[in-house]
Amino acid sequence: MTSIDVRNLTKEYRGRQVTRAVDGLTFRVEPGRVTGFLGPNGAGKSTTMRLVLGLDRPTSGTATVGGRPYVTLAEPLRAVGALLDAQAAHPSRTGRNHLRLLAASNGLPERRVAEVLDETGLADAAGRRIRTYSLGMRQRLGIAAALLGDPGVLMLDEPANGLDPEGIVWIRGLLRRLAAEGRTVLVSSHLMNETSAFADHLVVLGRGRLLADVPTRDFIDAHSQDRVRVRTGDPVRLRAVLRAKGWTVGEAPDGDGRWVVEGASAEEIGAATAREGIPVFELAGERASLEQAYLALTAEAAQFTTRTAASPAASPQEV
Amino acid sequence: MSATAVLRSEWIKIWSVRSVAGPLVAVLVSALAIALVTFPNIGREQAATEELDPLFWLYYPLNFVQIAAIAFGATAASSEYLNGALRNSLAAVPRRGLFYGAKALVVGALALAVGVVSGFVMFFTANAFLGEYAIGIGEPGALRSCFGAGLYLALIALFSMGLAFLLRSAVAVLSLLVPFILIVSFVVVGFSEGVAAWLPDRAGQQILYQEHTGPLGPWTGIGVTALWAGAALLAGWWAVRRRDV
Repeated sequence: MTSIDVRNLTKEYRGRQVTRAVDGLTFRVEPGRVTGFLGPNGAGKSTTMRLVLGLDRPTSGTATVGGRPYVTLAEPLRAVGALLDAQAAHPSRTGRNHLRLLAASNGLPERRVAEVLDETGLADAAGRRIRTYSLGMRQRLGIAAALLGDPGVLMLDEPANGLDPEGIVWIRGLLRRLAAEGRTVLVSSHLMNETSAFADHLVVLGRGRLLADVPTRDFIDAHSQDRVRVRTGDPVRLRAVLRAKGWTVGEAPDGDGRWVVEGASAEEIGAATAREGIPVFELAGERASLEQAYLALTAEAAQFTTRTAASPAASPQEV
Repeated sequence: MSATAVLRSEWIKIWSVRSVAGPLVAVLVSALAIALVTFPNIGREQAATEELDPLFWLYYPLNFVQIAAIAFGATAASSEYLNGALRNSLAAVPRRGLFYGAKALVVGALALAVGVVSGFVMFFTANAFLGEYAIGIGEPGALRSCFGAGLYLALIALFSMGLAFLLRSAVAVLSLLVPFILIVSFVVVGFSEGVAAWLPDRAGQQILYQEHTGPLGPWTGIGVTALWAGAALLAGWWAVRRRDV
């Protein structure tokens, strides 16, 4: 089966200063699983996808699909289906004509147009002009275009963007099914929780560089620490006992007498307090949010960090 | 990837967007409409004037018809730049030469076909109202002028298409070419007859004249316009080839 191979890929834009949108990127997207392509806005996800499709030219490095540069593929829609920008369609065309002309260019049979319209739930809207479509419908049309050639590789840039909750459930199921059929599926997003719900593997970018290329399970295990919340009648002894075992205890943020033990499971704390006879009123294990782990990973590489500047209007003025 | 498949795709592109197909239809409609407005009123009176080439007078509507041809070429190209539609087009047809060549061929062929029909429409409509000044289709240069009008319109459409790919905007091309053809061309004639003869519109329109007094004949004239169109197409190709989309 076909994989996407990105090797030492670099893309620089020359303006007043040279900006590196993609910086020495190397990774491979394997068939048979959904790969989540993560990173904050401006991390280089869309640029990488455009480079794979030959729409942008790399400054150096290569990107291939099944070992061949995309531009050398004879009928590329049969090999790779891509959704880059759901807005990228002429608004005066009908959805059906948009798909018809794409199908015609790659010698795809006309019936594929009807099939993908059905599959994406657009059959009723196919005769309407794209300008009348909602964002979610445009997104579905973009996905329909990607599926047109029944390709072995799918590359979708933020496909859930603008979809309603029902649509999000639909797209998750579709991505899982496409991967289960043995296809290579690369899906970009800037939301970790959303992506971890359907991706088997994660490729994380920050400032154009590769930050992680790991199975989703491993990422979750490595980056989201266990912790335990405990409410006790004897915090002093609890602290002493846990400290002796190498755990640190801090007061929970809500500060209503609960204590938080980082890096421990509820079973371990339960056993320890029982042995020492410390009264425990409440005991709950929880995991630090995956989103937080992801934000921590990308924080130093973040392009656009939010700064809270004092507003001039709020500062007192001296007269 | 077969060239015929890409040609079919370009064909659908043109007929599925009103702002592109509209100007093409307008070439034919305006040829008939302007001829019908002009010739019953001032057709014979003008044909009687000495300094006017009798054959060229039949193509008076071309002054307006060519604006529709310009709009057709410009919108056929600029529709690719609306909302980044070009990204879809080049993802489907990544060989940019094939994409560009197919578009030029479809635009050129359609403009030629509609242009030739318009040429005959202008010729016969005008003649119907000219009485003793009418020119038969068998007279010298008559048949040549009918086909020549189509050739001229096709070259003007391609000239405009090339510029639109370079400038990525139909508005830019229209605001450049329409004043050029309606005003600048006349102003240059005032300055220098010699230079004006080589302008894309003046040179190509030689194919519509019976008498040739300038430096260019009917075929050398249309050849000069073909060079202008070729240069614009090359400039557009240079832009499509090297730009990231």
